[in-house]
Amino acid sequence: MSKPELWVVAERRLDHIEPTTQQLITKATRLAGDHFHVVTVLLEATTDHLEDELQPYGPDEIRIVRDDRFPTATDAELADALKQLIDAAHPNTVLFGATITGRSIAPRLQAKLQTGLTADCLDLRFDDETLVATKPSYGDNIMCEIICPDRRPQMATVRPNTFVAQPQADATPAITTAHITFHPVARLHVTAATPVVNTATTVGDASRVVALGRGAANEDTIASATQLAEKLGGRIGVSRPLTDQDRFTHDDQIGQSGNTIHPDLILNFGISGAVQYLVGMQDSQTIVSVNSDPNAPIFAASDYGYVGDAQAFMTALLAQFA
Amino acid sequence: MKIVVCIKQVPETNDVTIDPHTHNLDRRGLAGVMNPFDKNAVEQALQLKAATDAEVVLLTMGPDDYAQSLREGMAMGADSGVLLSDRAFAGADTLATGYVLAQAIAKIGDVDLIIFGRQAVDADTGQVGPIVAEFLHQPQITYAATLRLSGPNEVTAERLLEDTKQTLVAQLPAVVSVRSELNTPRYPTPRNIQLSFTKPLTTWHHDDLDLDDTRLGQAGSPTIVTKVYAPTPVKRALTPLTGTPQEAASQLIKALKDRQLL
Ligand SMILES: Cc1cc2nc3c(=O)[nH]c(=O)nc-3n(C[C@H](O)[C@H](O)[C@H](O)COP(=O)(O)OP(=O)(O)OC[C@H]3O[C@@H](n4cnc5c(N)ncnc54)[C@H](O)[C@@H]3O)c2cc1C
Ligand SMILES: Nc1ncnc2c1ncn2[C@@H]1O[C@H](COP(=O)(O)O)[C@@H](O)[C@H]1O
Repeated sequence: MSKPELWVVAERRLDHIEPTTQQLITKATRLAGDHFHVVTVLLEATTDHLEDELQPYGPDEIRIVRDDRFPTATDAELADALKQLIDAAHPNTVLFGATITGRSIAPRLQAKLQTGLTADCLDLRFDDETLVATKPSYGDNIMCEIICPDRRPQMATVRPNTFVAQPQADATPAITTAHITFHPVARLHVTAATPVVNTATTVGDASRVVALGRGAANEDTIASATQLAEKLGGRIGVSRPLTDQDRFTHDDQIGQSGNTIHPDLILNFGISGAVQYLVGMQDSQTIVSVNSDPNAPIFAASDYGYVGDAQAFMTALLAQFA
Repeated sequence: MKIVVCIKQVPETNDVTIDPHTHNLDRRGLAGVMNPFDKNAVEQALQLKAATDAEVVLLTMGPDDYAQSLREGMAMGADSGVLLSDRAFAGADTLATGYVLAQAIAKIGDVDLIIFGRQAVDADTGQVGPIVAEFLHQPQITYAATLRLSGPNEVTAERLLEDTKQTLVAQLPAVVSVRSELNTPRYPTPRNIQLSFTKPLTTWHHDDLDLDDTRLGQAGSPTIVTKVYAPTPVKRALTPLTGTPQEAASQLIKALKDRQLL
């Protein structure tokens, strides 16, 4: 009797693997123990070698399907390819990153398979062979545990940066190939694709973050924070109200509807600590917060706190960095 | 041209609590409003209507009081509303919801474009749009950041992926879900509010649609919620930094050095 298969569908991000894939492989191998066979499914072009970026994370198998149309394929075409693979192998569980791509393909696939899909999960575990997925609702005010008891595969999309990717020293996944028939959808075409130039690290993968909130939003404070971030080798992140400013975008936002981050160090300035913000950064290793209100909820979630003016503290800190 | 906009009604605030005895969501006293992201979908449809004289039909599945959100959308300027209400539909997850919506859209007939919000703010899944697209065998453009008609039977949209800005061209009929950044929903004018009460609001029950009963409601929903609870933000032992900003900054630098962060 072969082991049930636990799949992670690999996602491409430009010419690389989207980091959520590696995070999910790490989590899947931990969950699998001896019980599941962890397969990473990779749809790539004939000249690609994205498996090289998956191999160190140690799934049991990397199952590759090659077709030059994959890198620019549309959601329906990719869902169709995955449906064929699933019909051939009957996996127990299929996991996607809850990225824009994952959240677009997975529900189409779900509809084809008439099975359950739990969106944007923050935790996963198995009860025997049943996946128990923890999903936030009502803007992260409520957590739900959701199962799909009767139908297979059971599926989930998992929020990026929820798990930490860890390469394994002795990883030797089997590399196999599979085949599908590519069914082009004539009615939808990608006519242009421009990479969003963002070579710098994003707040999502920076190891040091200087975070600014409504209480630290003026020109001078932002200038000081920029210097501080440079000194620390980090990035600026913001709470939601600051994304209304032209210089910040949704990509800089920390929190439930922005990035979930776990840097080594985060310095929060002028952020009150709303639950939607906290869930995005509470797994940071060391949390420092400066706020003029001694009762700001952010302090209860912090390792170090200073009650006072954000600008004054930043100035003092910058002066002491030799 | 006929555009269907799928809208959901959600509680007015997300500050829901959990009943300590039943462990169920306590939604008592929470008024329902149109899902804020769906207002962007309605607005987008109305902009296309202005450009092409399209007919805009609002569609919702839910209890009878969801009619309120249909009226709200008609007060913004939509032409008519369809409410899908039946006890057999209750307890549906995204799959069972998508099924009934797809069957209703088939019944409405000759629909060129179906627009969804990016997600419902209560369930936060964003799944229903792609599910409906699949059931109706239509191409989809999710998370559209812009959307315009680019030909008699064609829409062009831009989509911001994590790494790429895509331009897509779809032959109608097609399904689009929109990002909230693409427009600012209009407010109903007094005249439109008045007009909204004269616009047709139709209710369809189970027998009005062609349905496979095994795919409806709770029975047709593969997923089950087994537990709901309030998240407890992890508390940390706070070490206060004290004194003047200079003193506090030097305490912090020492602490970060001790933690080998500097
Ligand atoms: C569905 C939903 C999703 C959301 N998603 C997110 C999300 O992803 N990310 C997010 O951040 N928010 C999110 N929010 C919003 C969130 O609830 C809060 O409104 C937001 O985090 C508040 O941002 P803030 O702390 O910067 O501002 P405020 O709450 O206004 O706090 C400003 C703080 O600055 C302090 N302050 C003022 N002056 C100074 C000074 N001179 N020096 C030091 N401190 C000062 C004040 O004491 C106060 O504590 C979401 C809300 C909802 C409903
Ligand atoms: N019950 C419903 N009736 C009509 N439309 C819905 C319903 N539920 C969800 N939708 C639509 O699907 C989108 C995504 O919802 P969800 O998948 O629940 O996050 C919403 O923004 C609405 O446009």
